[in-house]
Amino acid sequence: MTAAALPLARPPRKGFFAALAPGGARVLFALVVVGVAFLFAFPVLWLGLTSLRPASGVYFVHRGTEFTLHNYVEALAQPGMLTAFFNSFAISTLATVLSLGVTVTSGYMLSRFRGPVPSAWFSIIYVLRCVPYISWVLPLFFVTRQLGIFDTYWGLLLPHVAVHICFFSWIMKGFFDGIDPSMEYAALIDGCTRWGAFFRVALPSAVPGLTALAILCWLYTWNEFLFALLLTSHRTPILTVVMAQFVHELGMEWHLMSATAIMALVPALIVTVFGQKYVIRGLRI
Amino acid sequence: MAEVVLQGVGKSYGSVVAVRDFNLTIADQEFVVLVGPSGCGKSTTLRMVAGLEEITEGIVAIGGRVVNELPPKDRDIAMVFQNYALYQHMSVRDNLAFGLRNRRVPEAEIDAQIARAVRMLGIEPLLDRRPRQLSGGQQQRVALGRCLVRNPKVFLFDEPLSNLDAQLRSQMRLELKELRKRVPTTSIYVTHDQVEAMTLGDRIVVMKDGLVQQVGSPLDLYRRPANRFVAGFIGSPAMNFIDVRVTAQGDGVTVAAEGLSLGLGGKPGAALRKHAGNTVTMGVRPQHLMLGAGGGNVQRFKATLSTSEQLGDQQLLDARLGGVYLRVAGIDAALKLADGTALDLAVAPENLHFFDAAGGAALG
Repeated sequence: MTAAALPLARPPRKGFFAALAPGGARVLFALVVVGVAFLFAFPVLWLGLTSLRPASGVYFVHRGTEFTLHNYVEALAQPGMLTAFFNSFAISTLATVLSLGVTVTSGYMLSRFRGPVPSAWFSIIYVLRCVPYISWVLPLFFVTRQLGIFDTYWGLLLPHVAVHICFFSWIMKGFFDGIDPSMEYAALIDGCTRWGAFFRVALPSAVPGLTALAILCWLYTWNEFLFALLLTSHRTPILTVVMAQFVHELGMEWHLMSATAIMALVPALIVTVFGQKYVIRGLRI
Repeated sequence: MAEVVLQGVGKSYGSVVAVRDFNLTIADQEFVVLVGPSGCGKSTTLRMVAGLEEITEGIVAIGGRVVNELPPKDRDIAMVFQNYALYQHMSVRDNLAFGLRNRRVPEAEIDAQIARAVRMLGIEPLLDRRPRQLSGGQQQRVALGRCLVRNPKVFLFDEPLSNLDAQLRSQMRLELKELRKRVPTTSIYVTHDQVEAMTLGDRIVVMKDGLVQQVGSPLDLYRRPANRFVAGFIGSPAMNFIDVRVTAQGDGVTVAAEGLSLGLGGKPGAALRKHAGNTVTMGVRPQHLMLGAGGGNVQRFKATLSTSEQLGDQQLLDARLGGVYLRVAGIDAALKLADGTALDLAVAPENLHFFDAAGGAALG
């Protein structure tokens, strides 16, 4: 039997993609990818462009040819702007550290222990997650006023930490569920206490997940607006709130807002670029 | 010297009883295997000795000291887990050193212990690798090494070979035996594989539903199973069972089922006389059924070949006798038998086992 007579020849492909010229399918795919990427990048690119235009040109971004960096200088000169950058950075970092400190132990408990305490804790988290986020704000406003921590670091930090604990304990539980508990049993036999086994064996194994969570937590706090708006005032300016103040009774200062937004993007971008690997790995667990 | 004593040990989770009234004394340097189907309580028992499960009732003592309330780290034991349980974020060397460092052993001594263990296990080239870069067999060797370096009073093994493929498993079984000779230490080994139990154990504890069924040497269990469960669990292929009616006949008895009538005299017959008129369960191992005439004091009966399995070195036959199927092992592989052939089978009376038809306890 000759090779040509073999009945195993691949049948010719049919359909739209086969009708394209060789390589056509690949070009088409690339075009679609570029199109989708552009769709998402467009607002940011437009924002960047707006930030470089003088105040008079913001409504004609596509037409003018005049560009300036003056918006950045002016935005930074706004009262409270530098403090707001510092505050946002400090709050994001502190909130990440504090909430992860609680979340790792709380997630670990939910993953490894059974009994009344873990179930009660689980129920509390569950109920709190069911409540719409916005409905917390008003009670929190009164509570922080009452406690005398309104418009302070603590007044914003504690609510953030509380929300993070609720949201991230579940995710952390998932990370620990993926780690073989017999590793900790081995550590117990190898001379560790329960805490020792947690710190020296379980926690190091959860580092990729922990890193992912830290990045998400940091970005979330950095971008958060609602709590910042209602729980802080002039004493503790927060970046997102300061940015929003470019919309006022005299109009909207798009050029300054865009410049601030682009500057606010930079730390977030750095965190994302450096942490991307971990975020993807962590969320895969 | 480390004798392990379990006295009336029980474990329950709420109303679910996992282990009840477990009594066993394991001599110093003895290798005891706990074997049974999954859920029989063997792993729970091991974990109670390790201190990973609380003991609901009874006493566990290691080396003369009651350890019920001691945390695992103070029991001076080492354990090999089914899934190896190596510390994934540490190198092999750090895995081996972990337990010793926790006990503040000087680094020089740690190095010496590690060197000794890796030489014994042939894992010198792996010391700087991470566990996930190792094959299953290599990981298991590292897990063994982690126990060896510690020089504990007792080794505990929780189904250590069950994640390995068949070939590697039999190789590791031999290596474990070798290791035992070089490092004789009191050991408790849990498995569901009766071959592992038979080959490794000085003594075997067969468990079912949280209860000990029988404790004895491998040959004891094979030759004198205490009940039908042990008889069926130990030995491969599994023992054949057939319900027979006992009738007194002269000095002995006749046991009969559809297509079968065997006259038993002497000791086996005498032992069965008190069950005359009852139905009992007869057990016979596939290896003890002979094809053809057979010689000496044997009982013969006929069966029909249902199907045969070629294993290369021998054949396994599945023979139909009335309504039951009997397996016959050790048949010449070259023998060609068509399905449906009438078979002349023979069995020596001393190779027959009898069990209470209801409770399953061995009779006689």
